[in-house]
Amino acid sequence: MANDFTSYAWLVPLFPLLAFLVLIAAGRQLREAGAYISIVAMLASFVLALLIFFERLGHTTDYTWNQLKWLTIGDFQLNMGFEVTNLNALMLVIVTLVSLLVNIYSKGYMHGDERVNVFFSYIQLFSFAMLGLVISVNVLELYIFWELVGVCSFLLVGFWYFKPEARAAAKKAFIVTRVGDVGLFLGMLLLFWYMPGHSLDFSAIHNAFSQGKIDPSIATWIAILVFVGAMGKSGQFPLHTWLPDAMEGPTPISALIHAATMVAAGVYLVARTMDIFQASPDAMLVVAYVGGFTAIFAATIGTAQNDIKRVLAYSTVSQLGYMMMALGLGAATAGIFHLFTHAFFKALLFLGAGSVIHAVHTQDIREMGGLAGKMKITAWTFAIGALALSGIVPLSGFWSKDAILSAAFEHNQLLFWVGLIAAFFTAFYMARLFFLVFAGKPRSDAHAHESPAPFTFPLVVLAVLAVIAGFVFTPFNGWLGHWLGDHAEAETANWTVMILSTLAGLLGIGLGYVMYGKNSVSRDIVAGNAPWLYTLVYRKYYIDELYDVVFVRGLRLIGKAFELFDIYIVDGIVRLCSAAVVGIGRLGLRLQNGQVQTYGLATLLGLLILALALAGRRFFHLG
Amino acid sequence: MDKLPLLTLIAFTPLLGALVLLFVPKQQGRLIKTIALIATLIPLVLAAALYAAYQASGDPVQFKEMYSWIKIPLNKEGLEQITSFFFEFKYNLAVDGLSLPLVFLTALVSAMAALASFHIKKRWKTFYICFLLLETGMFGVFMAQDLFLFFLFFEITLVPMFFLVGIWGYLDREKAANKFLIYNGIGSAIMLIAFLIIVATVGFTMTQTNNEVILSYSGDIHQIAHNLFQDPNAFVNQAKPNNPFFMSDTMKWTVFLMLLVAFGIKLPIFPFHTWMLRVHTEAPPSIVMIHSGILLKMGAYGLIRFGVLFFPAQAKEAALLLGILGVINILYGAALAVVQREFKLVLAYSSISHMGVVLLGLAAFNTSGLQGAVFQLVSHGLISALLFLLVGSIYERTETTELGALGGLAKSIPFMSGILLIAGMASLGLPGLSGFIGEFLAFVGMFGTYKAVAAVGALGIILAAVYVLRGVLSITFGPIAAQYAGIRDARLVEAIPMITLVAFILLLGIYPSVLSEPLQQTISGMDQLLHSAAGHIGG
Repeated sequence: MANDFTSYAWLVPLFPLLAFLVLIAAGRQLREAGAYISIVAMLASFVLALLIFFERLGHTTDYTWNQLKWLTIGDFQLNMGFEVTNLNALMLVIVTLVSLLVNIYSKGYMHGDERVNVFFSYIQLFSFAMLGLVISVNVLELYIFWELVGVCSFLLVGFWYFKPEARAAAKKAFIVTRVGDVGLFLGMLLLFWYMPGHSLDFSAIHNAFSQGKIDPSIATWIAILVFVGAMGKSGQFPLHTWLPDAMEGPTPISALIHAATMVAAGVYLVARTMDIFQASPDAMLVVAYVGGFTAIFAATIGTAQNDIKRVLAYSTVSQLGYMMMALGLGAATAGIFHLFTHAFFKALLFLGAGSVIHAVHTQDIREMGGLAGKMKITAWTFAIGALALSGIVPLSGFWSKDAILSAAFEHNQLLFWVGLIAAFFTAFYMARLFFLVFAGKPRSDAHAHESPAPFTFPLVVLAVLAVIAGFVFTPFNGWLGHWLGDHAEAETANWTVMILSTLAGLLGIGLGYVMYGKNSVSRDIVAGNAPWLYTLVYRKYYIDELYDVVFVRGLRLIGKAFELFDIYIVDGIVRLCSAAVVGIGRLGLRLQNGQVQTYGLATLLGLLILALALAGRRFFHLG
Repeated sequence: MDKLPLLTLIAFTPLLGALVLLFVPKQQGRLIKTIALIATLIPLVLAAALYAAYQASGDPVQFKEMYSWIKIPLNKEGLEQITSFFFEFKYNLAVDGLSLPLVFLTALVSAMAALASFHIKKRWKTFYICFLLLETGMFGVFMAQDLFLFFLFFEITLVPMFFLVGIWGYLDREKAANKFLIYNGIGSAIMLIAFLIIVATVGFTMTQTNNEVILSYSGDIHQIAHNLFQDPNAFVNQAKPNNPFFMSDTMKWTVFLMLLVAFGIKLPIFPFHTWMLRVHTEAPPSIVMIHSGILLKMGAYGLIRFGVLFFPAQAKEAALLLGILGVINILYGAALAVVQREFKLVLAYSSISHMGVVLLGLAAFNTSGLQGAVFQLVSHGLISALLFLLVGSIYERTETTELGALGGLAKSIPFMSGILLIAGMASLGLPGLSGFIGEFLAFVGMFGTYKAVAAVGALGIILAAVYVLRGVLSITFGPIAAQYAGIRDARLVEAIPMITLVAFILLLGIYPSVLSEPLQQTISGMDQLLHSAAGHIGG
């Protein structure tokens, strides 16, 4: 049980940090070298992560180090450090691999942008924070990195800062996730006060909650608050609105941050603190239903969007919903497994979309078409990604979705059907997307051609993974579940679920094909017969509009009301006081008018008051 | 090091600089600036040495300097057995864990503001004389261990500040200066009355040795604390008739509330905040660095040092009130910051919001909350200094800080835009930067005491993101207006203070132990006092 590499896990985030510092300090001088520095740093992290992963294959005990004294609060010492569990080791590999491929891809995609090294530096900072998040030893450390990845996401969404849409999207991404973060923050404070010894360490949390040392109602509060944080980051309804807008960022970022890694952090957080949730059945139910609802809700929106990246974004929201649903149903391995496969095929789809956008200079799928012949590698890999996402056997998505649906089938029939219908919509919007983009005739006169090697290499690697990644956890091979220490997972094949989910997928693809591939069914069938329904879905159920009225305008209204209060009441009283002083002063001034009669009167009055006072005093004294 | 009167050196080097400036012809702008800068850099170096030399363990009150300054014999007619009866006014400086970081903050922000003041266009000589006088006053406030000395230094800050705002400010400067003076004058008057009551009651000590009986009035804060808490035989604790020195609960409440108002004006606590809005908008930015960075902290410092530590039982009973005031400050300031069109006003209201966090930490009455309050003071000092440094540099180039008029500056001034973004992130409490630590600790503390209050206050965390991003992104993101396309990025003399402040903001955020270590003794002392005092009086 050696920990030769594991004990150096802290180096994994450090390589990208180093690259970040170099790029920030000397970005302008580096020019082309910036991309290579980033790639090399990420490669180093990836290799180390792989070594750790292999070292951990035989392990079940966690490696923990938390000796860095960070902050003293009274008698209590808060330490930082790092922890490697099997779940963390898996996450390290996913993050470093996708990040490495995205770095390579970006070298091509961002070529010619004058701030390319700034871009790479942000990616390095993000990778540092994301990897730090993964190996955090306690909740506070996780929260710190959690916020840091959020800020990197903000920076990258707003990378093209001069575009007003990018500015708005960046702002929205930050603020909406912050709403969730406050939940996590409060959950952390509750943990601080209710954990034995104020410990925030994950291992301590595991012990305290799995042994039932924490009151269940407190556990429910903590779990819900932590989940609110996860909802923000992972785009769960009703905090999902930022994620589609975040597509304003460069496409490699959408692949890395808004598909494969950061948005999965919420799922990771819930999985990491699973003991808290398991202590509270109510919280589990909330997680499951929010996840299930998000899955179907976002999938329907995805069917009506025309921006290639937004379709994928809603698909991401929907898939994250699946993962949450799995966690809420107690099928932690299934959730993590879907996170794992999704990271590959969704990154693949986004990078494929980037390749397409790079070629045709538009993101509107109605202006694309017929690209399959011109961009063979992109089309093939995209097709693999789309099939994997649609859950077609034997691609990776099939196995992970099957694991989730089986769990739902066993524990909660309603959620099973929700998941199944969502799977149908998933297959449908992916078919629609694929046929509109790659099939048929070109609908614009752009001269598209296949993208160069930095694009296609990551696509091919990810396509291979999208095919094979599913085999680590199938009904016939429960390796992942054992390794993650989750013994609850059933390994028996549930043929009903498999057949139903395959049918749902095929049905969706078939419908997509007849509507958008063969055009034998009118595309406007819904828009024509039930325009209100189409508009409702197209406008994303008017959630953004609702938020705008309630929160954005509401806040502005409150602010304005306070402003009036501040100017006229608070400051008004101050002015009144000062006016009163000035008034009294004027009165005094008027007395000094040079007329002896007035002075005499004043003197007499004064004398009278004095005499009265004196008499009164004596009177009271005697009395 | 033990022999050097380090505190006196720190406090009076700026004054010495001001004296030197008197002899420099006013046309010699360069020389004046150099002298002024040196007069702020020396205290900075000394303050760093002070920080390094401060012992984290042992008696928290260190570097004591005490000299009897004025001793007024009092009439002891009819008191035959009394050897002497006098009022004593001591020159008495020291630092503890609470004042140490504030002394360093003062030195740092002053030096950076002296650099930033190079923008000043007229009457450099008078400006820097006022500036240095102000700095001496601020140092004194944080070091003074005697009520009257504290009051003296506190007043010293008002006068130069009045002129700095009134002469070198923007269009409405005179009105702002007047409002500043009147408001703070009222605060000072209330403070003075409160201090006089304290000295006249608690400050009265009878010392009996073998054959001598000495009666004295003193403003020494340690003597006062001793009389209040450690000496049950002190006159102040004797509830006998005809004991004019006894402090009844009513009187304690009166004095406590007077101190709350006096320092609440400075902090500022809602609804005493309107004066500081004008100072924020009308004063020259380098002076706002000082004002927002340090002067506001004097309010919190005074409130802790005299309000809370002299009257812990009252403070503890008022904790919920303080907490609610804190939440009002947080939310009211934040909601108003969201709708401002002038960036300086966004920052002014955000200061109100951030000072609410200090109140929240105080109201928690536990180690975490107290520590959070101090962290927040230091951190806000650094951050607001940095923000107004940027405001000054941006205004120099654009001649406006109206949000509607600006935009896209990241294109022409990427360095300053980056620093502005960092400052904004620090201000909204991003972990890794200093703002987070204070917020975290204060909320941890409050959560242990009043959960609901803390939870409502946490909404401020969201609002902070809204107003900071709105402000910062309006300035730096978006399309750039043609007239700003050619402006130049920061010069070296501007970049140095920016980088320095960012470095400290990062240091505190990444490794908060640098501040929490020296704080420990003081905080735990305060915590014990609060608990024991509140226990046997209130319980």
